[in-house]
Amino acid sequence: MERRVLNLVLVGVGGQGIVSLANVIANAALENGTNVLVAETHGLSQRGGSVIVHVRLGEAEAPLIPEGEGDIMIALDPLEAARYAHYLRLGAWIFMERKVTPPPLPGIKVPAMEEVKNALERAGFKVNVIPAISEASRLGNPLGANVYMLGAAMSSGIFDGFLTVESVERAIRRVLKKPEKNIMLLHAALKAVSSR
Amino acid sequence: MAWKEVLAEPGSKVIMLGNVAIARGALEYGVSYASAYPGTPSTEITEALSYAARMLGAPYVEWSSNEKVALEGAIGAALTGIPAMASMKHVGVNVAADPLFSVGYMGVPGALVVVSADDPGMWSSQNEQDNRWYGVHAYIPVVEPAGAQEAKEAIIEAFKLSEKWEHPVIFRSTTRIGHTRVPVEVGEINMEGIRRRGKFKKNIDRYTLVPAHARKLREELVDKWEKISEHLSEHPLNWVEGDGDVLVVGVGLGYRYAKEAVKRLGLEGEVKILKISTPVPLPKKLLLKHAERASKILFVEEGDPVVETLSKSLFYDEGLHVRVYGKERGPIKRTGELNLANVTEALARVVGLDYARPPAAKVEISLPPRPPVLCAGCPYRAVFYALRRAAGKARVRPVYNGDIGCYSLGVNPPFQMQDTIVEMGGSIGLANGISHVVDGDQVPIAIIGDSTFFHAGLPGLANAVYNRSPMLIVVLDNRTTAMTGHQPHPGVGVTASGQPGVELDIAQAARGLGVDYVKVIDAFNIKEGEKEFYEALRYVKEKRRPALVVARGACILLAIANARRQGVKYTVYRVNLDKCTACGLCYRAFNCPAIYAGDDGKARIDPILCTGCGECAQICPFDAFEPVDEVSEEWLKIMRTAKPI
Repeated sequence: MERRVLNLVLVGVGGQGIVSLANVIANAALENGTNVLVAETHGLSQRGGSVIVHVRLGEAEAPLIPEGEGDIMIALDPLEAARYAHYLRLGAWIFMERKVTPPPLPGIKVPAMEEVKNALERAGFKVNVIPAISEASRLGNPLGANVYMLGAAMSSGIFDGFLTVESVERAIRRVLKKPEKNIMLLHAALKAVSSR
Repeated sequence: MAWKEVLAEPGSKVIMLGNVAIARGALEYGVSYASAYPGTPSTEITEALSYAARMLGAPYVEWSSNEKVALEGAIGAALTGIPAMASMKHVGVNVAADPLFSVGYMGVPGALVVVSADDPGMWSSQNEQDNRWYGVHAYIPVVEPAGAQEAKEAIIEAFKLSEKWEHPVIFRSTTRIGHTRVPVEVGEINMEGIRRRGKFKKNIDRYTLVPAHARKLREELVDKWEKISEHLSEHPLNWVEGDGDVLVVGVGLGYRYAKEAVKRLGLEGEVKILKISTPVPLPKKLLLKHAERASKILFVEEGDPVVETLSKSLFYDEGLHVRVYGKERGPIKRTGELNLANVTEALARVVGLDYARPPAAKVEISLPPRPPVLCAGCPYRAVFYALRRAAGKARVRPVYNGDIGCYSLGVNPPFQMQDTIVEMGGSIGLANGISHVVDGDQVPIAIIGDSTFFHAGLPGLANAVYNRSPMLIVVLDNRTTAMTGHQPHPGVGVTASGQPGVELDIAQAARGLGVDYVKVIDAFNIKEGEKEFYEALRYVKEKRRPALVVARGACILLAIANARRQGVKYTVYRVNLDKCTACGLCYRAFNCPAIYAGDDGKARIDPILCTGCGECAQICPFDAFEPVDEVSEEWLKIMRTAKPI
């Protein structure tokens, strides 16, 4: 693998499990012998607000991903994908949840998922829409959309050389509650997305 | 959150939050006393230590009532000869500044480390202050780790430095150190150290800062300061990498940005990086040695240009003429956090290389904002709703003096009921001033949380009673310090180490301070709230003196955690679409995150987000919200009495 650093942008809404997902990835990296830095959002910003976590795998020193240099994004909400897309390099893949979670504010206009997807594609990104929330619910773990999304993103091959499926499985066992349910979601996503 | 990593097996490598690594380092050194007041981004240090204390029976860990009390406790403990630490967020150091400015004079026979977690970028704070200035101002050395990667080693070095000089040390962390997760290799916990007991030895000339003693100690302090600076020039946390005419001084986390920028520009080995993790006092010898050989110097530091400014003064004194780049005159941006693009650009400019940032994408779409909001089921939403209606009914024009806590989120629509937010306790404080100078119907309403009330509300309240300040004080008692993640406080009666403490009663405290009008209401009961707030406002208007209402109702997240533990289930609510008239009151004027408008304009409830608080059922004029199952009496009780676990 030529790439020495993989910059992963994780975004969503506070409470969706973005920070937990980042913890899984960090532990998977450790299992795999890959260096990792995860810069999180805590405190005030977290309460149902917009959340971004910077994950840097490989030979990174600084904790934050520079704008325009993210290699891949996992977005548990389409609006948040658009909000932070400027962190990505042009041509990067965005693995984006299908369901829009509208901000609970009076009198706002909320764009539909398709609008967001089109705008992201026009801006030069590749977008893969994943129904992670509904799939996770259907498979009996409504809070597992985050892990489902990771499985979907891993099917792209971009994590090769940084993370393996086995390392992610071990990390899930180490840090998540209901590990078996989550590992099942990981595999379901890998299978669903790679067979498309 | 789980804190078990703090006790990871010696020799193992584990993923840890920087703050947990700081806690682990303190345990490996053998800290025997740790006090704190919660505040982002510092809280997890003491959370992890409190977990360790529960599991190991030591060290002594306490959530103090505020940062001044935390620091005073740590000073006291250190005076008995044991290693102590006090942790707080950057603005908490302002509260603790009074003892901080004098403890350097007396020094400490044990070790004393004050952890200041600064918040560049203001992710969870009201300002961006750089607390390394406190070190300069109060003659206290500052240790600043180069990222979360170095946090554990650096805190150990901070303790060693304090022990060696019998002098307090400030450990300066930042958001991107404390809240960055990295692999950390752990060593042995110093079990003997954490269990150490102290013994106070009288030393009146040193520990009583009366003018005669302080004058003498001041002379000693200035002398000691120069010696510490010399020592720091040899400190193992400072080092040099590469060689060249251009010198990059990377301070703390700034070192990581500098190092990566050098790599990105392919300049490894061609510029010299001076890594500094002891910015205060300036390690003068070390800086001079490398500055003398440089043609240009770039300072990279998180926060203010502290090392840059101090260095320029040093260069002037030494007659050194060298071009200095950094934050004072650019090219690095002074506000916000460091970022790699900015540092790379700056370095390219200094060395004369072309560097263009990668093209930034422009996503053409108009996005609604997504500010943090009060959770679904938050009792504060019910209180804001009731209070606004009461103020209208009482015909007062309220000035909502807000404070620091979850209720700060009342600043956002639909409530916008935080007209001022300055600092902890500032609600009652500002209301004091406003109450004496406004006329007519304007009435200040101070809105303050339970933990904040004990932290800094009491002196303001004493003032309000004493000076007869006509104001309404609403104490939002959700049984915990919620914003920072559910720490206990004096009103809860559980200590940091999980032991039973004494539960202080807010209403009784207010009565004890002489407030004549004190009421305790159920925060979840909107009707009762509206009535009681109305009557309290009438009292303030007529009697021209303070009234205080405690609105009590547990943080819903805490209630849910308590219910899970007790095996109590709650029912979610749903909308009866036959009754809903699509009036929009619930999603326009109440805005619970679990309620949204369907395409027909009628309300819907997201069952995953609904927490079964029942507030919506109280505000709907058409009774359209219904519980899906029967409402459990036990759940209603837990909502009102839950405590931090």
